[in-house]
Amino acid sequence: MPAPDTSQLKTLIHQITPASAGNTSLTRELVDHAHYLGGTNQAEDLADLANLMQRHVMQTSGSSTPSLRLNNLLSRLYDQTALSRKYAILSFLYTLSQQSHPTSSYSTISNPPAGTARRRNGPSPFNPSLDAPFSASSGHRGANGGPARPEPPVEGGMKSKAALLRAYRERIGKPHVPMTVLLRDAIYLLQGISGHCVQFVSVTTDTMEKEERIEFVAIKEGFIPPPTRVLLHQLSELGHLHSLIASFLDERSLSPTVGLVEQSLHHELRFQLTEYHKLIALLESHASRSKAGEDGGGLTLMRLEAWVGEWKLRLRLMSVFVEGSKNAHGGKLISLIHLHTKNGDPFIRDFSTQILEQVSKPFFTSLQAWLFAGSLSDPFGEFFVAPGKRSGNLGDRPEREDADADEIDADFGGDIHRTWQEKWMFRAEMMPSFLDEAFGRKVYSTGKSLNFIRYNCHDAEWVTKQASASTSKSLKYSDIAGLEKSIDLAYKVASQRLFEAFLVKYRLVDHLQALKAYLLCGYGDFHDLLMDSLSALLAKPANALYRHTLTTRLLDAIRGSNAQYDPPDVLRRLDARMMEYSHGEIGWDVFTLEYKVDPPIDTVIDPDGINNYLKLFNHLWKMRRVEGSLGAAWGRVTSGARSVSRVADLQKDWHQVRLVMAEMIHFVRQMHAWCHREVIGAAWKDLTEFIHKKEGDLDGLIEAHNEYLSRMVRKITLQDSKRGHENNLATVREIFETILQFLDSTDDFWRYTTHAAHIRDRERDNVRGVYTALSLNTRDPQVSEEALSGILSRTKEFSGKFSHLAGDLVISLSSHSDLDIRFLAVSLTGFSTFYPGRRDSSRG
Amino acid sequence: MPREIITVQIGQCGNQMGSVFWQRLCAEHGISKDGTLEEWATEGGDRKDVFFYQADDEHYIPRAILMDLEPRVINNILTGPYASLYNPENVYTSKDGGGAGNNWAQGHQAGEKIYEDIFEMMDREAEGSDSLEAFMVMHSIAGGTGSGLGSFVLERLNDKYPKKLVQTYSVFPNNEELSDVVVQPYNSILTLKRLVNHADSVVVLDNAALTRIAGDRLNVQFPSYDQTNQIVSTVMSASTTTLRYPGYMNNDLVGIIASLIPTPRCHFLMSSYTPFTSENVDKAKSIRKTTVLDVMRRLLQPKNRLVSTVSNKDSCYISILNIIQGDVDPTDVHHSLLRIRERQLANFIPWGPASIQVALARKSPYVSSSHRVSGLMLANHTSIASLFRRTLDQYDRLRKRNAFLEQYKKFKTFENGLEEFDDSRAVVDELVQEYKACESADYISYGAPGDAAGP
Repeated sequence: MPAPDTSQLKTLIHQITPASAGNTSLTRELVDHAHYLGGTNQAEDLADLANLMQRHVMQTSGSSTPSLRLNNLLSRLYDQTALSRKYAILSFLYTLSQQSHPTSSYSTISNPPAGTARRRNGPSPFNPSLDAPFSASSGHRGANGGPARPEPPVEGGMKSKAALLRAYRERIGKPHVPMTVLLRDAIYLLQGISGHCVQFVSVTTDTMEKEERIEFVAIKEGFIPPPTRVLLHQLSELGHLHSLIASFLDERSLSPTVGLVEQSLHHELRFQLTEYHKLIALLESHASRSKAGEDGGGLTLMRLEAWVGEWKLRLRLMSVFVEGSKNAHGGKLISLIHLHTKNGDPFIRDFSTQILEQVSKPFFTSLQAWLFAGSLSDPFGEFFVAPGKRSGNLGDRPEREDADADEIDADFGGDIHRTWQEKWMFRAEMMPSFLDEAFGRKVYSTGKSLNFIRYNCHDAEWVTKQASASTSKSLKYSDIAGLEKSIDLAYKVASQRLFEAFLVKYRLVDHLQALKAYLLCGYGDFHDLLMDSLSALLAKPANALYRHTLTTRLLDAIRGSNAQYDPPDVLRRLDARMMEYSHGEIGWDVFTLEYKVDPPIDTVIDPDGINNYLKLFNHLWKMRRVEGSLGAAWGRVTSGARSVSRVADLQKDWHQVRLVMAEMIHFVRQMHAWCHREVIGAAWKDLTEFIHKKEGDLDGLIEAHNEYLSRMVRKITLQDSKRGHENNLATVREIFETILQFLDSTDDFWRYTTHAAHIRDRERDNVRGVYTALSLNTRDPQVSEEALSGILSRTKEFSGKFSHLAGDLVISLSSHSDLDIRFLAVSLTGFSTFYPGRRDSSRG
Repeated sequence: MPREIITVQIGQCGNQMGSVFWQRLCAEHGISKDGTLEEWATEGGDRKDVFFYQADDEHYIPRAILMDLEPRVINNILTGPYASLYNPENVYTSKDGGGAGNNWAQGHQAGEKIYEDIFEMMDREAEGSDSLEAFMVMHSIAGGTGSGLGSFVLERLNDKYPKKLVQTYSVFPNNEELSDVVVQPYNSILTLKRLVNHADSVVVLDNAALTRIAGDRLNVQFPSYDQTNQIVSTVMSASTTTLRYPGYMNNDLVGIIASLIPTPRCHFLMSSYTPFTSENVDKAKSIRKTTVLDVMRRLLQPKNRLVSTVSNKDSCYISILNIIQGDVDPTDVHHSLLRIRERQLANFIPWGPASIQVALARKSPYVSSSHRVSGLMLANHTSIASLFRRTLDQYDRLRKRNAFLEQYKKFKTFENGLEEFDDSRAVVDELVQEYKACESADYISYGAPGDAAGP
């Protein structure tokens, strides 16, 4: 490789480095080096450059394909004769590749955007590498020794076009504000602080709302071109949001009423802001580090915007939450955040999920306490369970629920039975939307059950045990499936326990049975006996009745019937008393049996229920009375048939009376049997089926009992909302009344007949010459005649009235909306369609 | 204070029925052969005191009065396994032991003689009851003692206890075939008059039907008395279930009878029972399908009736009471009633409302049954008149020939003539007429002055 000018070079070397004069090897080395530096040997340099490129390609791609391609391209370049400055071309391309490599088409297409990758990496989105937005290729991330930082453009002899432009602008006196100034301002802007040439101002708009906007201040350094303004404007949004959030945090953190959920939101927001500040700090340091450079050392407004782009979204979302938390509270706030986790944008989705995870923590703490221990630890009323209205007036002492749950009970006073319904209430609006309302109801019921078991069933031990067994289970947002399973399990356990407490410990079924037996007249022998012994008393005016007499008779009836085998606890609750009476009422009107229930049974059988039972008793007791009276009257007129037959001329009337009586007996017995069999029997069957299933919670039980009771009331009192059918019960009562009046007049008729029979007997005896002493006072036959016609006409009147009323009732009932009641109409009519037929004929 | 019932079993047939009936009651109430309560009989809910009284804490004694004019049957009872169940003071057997010779008049006259003895028993039992409701008389109407002494007892009960119900379970002779007792029609007519006039309700049991049911249902060609009595006791116990196992209704006899018997004379009830099983009677055919509807439908079938009657197109029910025992869903009853009504399986009287009454009753917990549901029907049906009609016909045939009247004339009732026969015939005939009248809507004006009817 000797060259013509080697000797000249040697001389030059000797001159510069005298040490080399006697050292040939050093001289040669230096010459070689000089040759290299001089780059005069184009062919060799070209090869060098090619090698360099080759190496670079190998490094960046890691596969051999691009380097093969490069080789191919290079060899084609060598063959080109038309190109004279091959070295310059290659060197340009190489430089180009060094600079623009990350944005080269290859990497952008083949690699996912950096943002996604980073977000996947965890909660801290901040990437310490400032190059991040530019070294987008994920392959390079973490390898800090990635591509070299772009070298400042070689300040060669020729100026860049941008520099020329800048110089021109300076010359014409309209210089742009230097990048450094702008960057500093931008970084201020990001924090919501007014800068040198851009300032935040708050303006009152036409609609009298305060609005923040930015203003550009004219400064001497120069002028800001519109594209830059737009950029700054965009950056200022972050600042605006930032100051919004920050001021919110400052403002709210001082407030004493901030709930736990909101507090944890604050916490999370603060954390996020800290991360944001970190980014700004890094940006700032970067900006100042590269301040020396004319162009801001690679940090431009554009780049700045790219860096903070993601944060813009976050801040926006955060400001939405902030905005929301002003109106929403507790569960509602959680729901609000949860709304965003269903967003289509994966970024928003992930970010909200991340926030929600934190924000929902206090909710889950409350949930845990409620679900497993039945205590409400919700000092700020954020949970979807809240103390009921009654306890609401206790003032502001909702904290320490454990302590005051009992006090709440005390405050319920006489209405302890309302505890279950009113101690707590469910607030659907506070229900986080990630939980189904059905689940919320379950949770509500579970806690209620536990609380009830603890304070009303006095079984705190079990609850505590249960709670400690469950503390190992942690509930959190990220495990909704597990949460639902835990809820299901806890619900089942608690409901089961409460159910069993009612059934086993408090013997609910016994009480229900007792109510059915006593108040719904299920114990026929007991009621018959009671009625027998009371009937004379009850015919007296109500104010002549004494309670102790009733009680004594009640005890007699219990002793004399199968009721004596009932548990003492049941019998102890049974009582007989008079209802409040007004003047003129007799014993029958006011007598009632009573069954007392005490807490916690009265949660199921509440006073309203007892009232309904009493209503039913009143009606059934009347029915029983009428049936009993009819039976007794039948016994009189039938057993005495022989003496009646002696008065032949009254035969026909008696026949009529008996037929009407048979009709009445049919009516009352059919109705009575229907009440017991079709209504009470069927309702009871459903109720016991429900109880035996042992499914559902106390609410279910209460509902089942209410349904049982209201169904019976509805049917037995023949309620109908249809027009013209409202008076069914009144008609039935009137029918009963009519039957009793009819029986009275029948009694008179009976007395008259026996009297007449005696007279005839005596006459016959007289004829035979036997004198019979008569205890009866012989009446004037004329008077008797009148008495008889009076009796007969009364009897006729009542029987006619009965037939009329019964016919009306049957017609009214046969168009009743309730199928069972329509069946009653069928039963009353009998198999031969008696009533409608007779009515038709009477109309025609 | 229960509504006690005193049973009076009269004559051979009556005592045999009663014996089986009491065995069954004991089984149902968990009472052992000597009247002590079985140890396992701990389930409450029953009322033993309707039919039993307690001598002391352990012993239950039936309110039963046993009487016969010949000692054979009663001796069998008193030497049998249930001997110590009965109160020996309540047993009357004639000292001469001659019986009534299948002669109503003899039995009736014997009653006069032993009146003091038998009514001492009656009075003692009645006084021992808190609120006696009824006497339940078991007898047959064909022989001498059951018919004659039975008639006497009925008459006197009515005089002495006019306010107590008298219900009889009366076995009618099998008048489809010739009987060994040729004077059966005489005895029947004379007894029927007392049943019409002095009883409040008569449950008619017919030997012909009992034999037929034993044959059809139980596959026995020639059933023994014991087997037919098993059938009878099943019916008797079922018809008293609601009294012994109180429920919401039908806890007193008067309520039940009042609903069945609208007019005093038409008080002859027929009964059906289904299903009969091997627990009730040996070698019973098993009837598998027992829904409420099946039971109620079968109860309406004539072949399940314990009395053979001949229906015509006008025959109808005056009333029906079904006592359904067992595990019954109330809605099943509802549906069954609707079905029966739709298909018009039962005809009812045209002059008043009438329908099938259903009483749901408990079953004894001590008597197991392979059937979920069983049912008894007590019904007042006009076709029962055909039975009386037939008796009248047989009586008329016999009377026309003046056959066998001599042995009746030996007794006081007929010393001065046979008016009692004529009177009885008139009463029975009138009964037949009244049942006939029941089939028409004009029954409302039955017995009007000018009408031929009425004594």
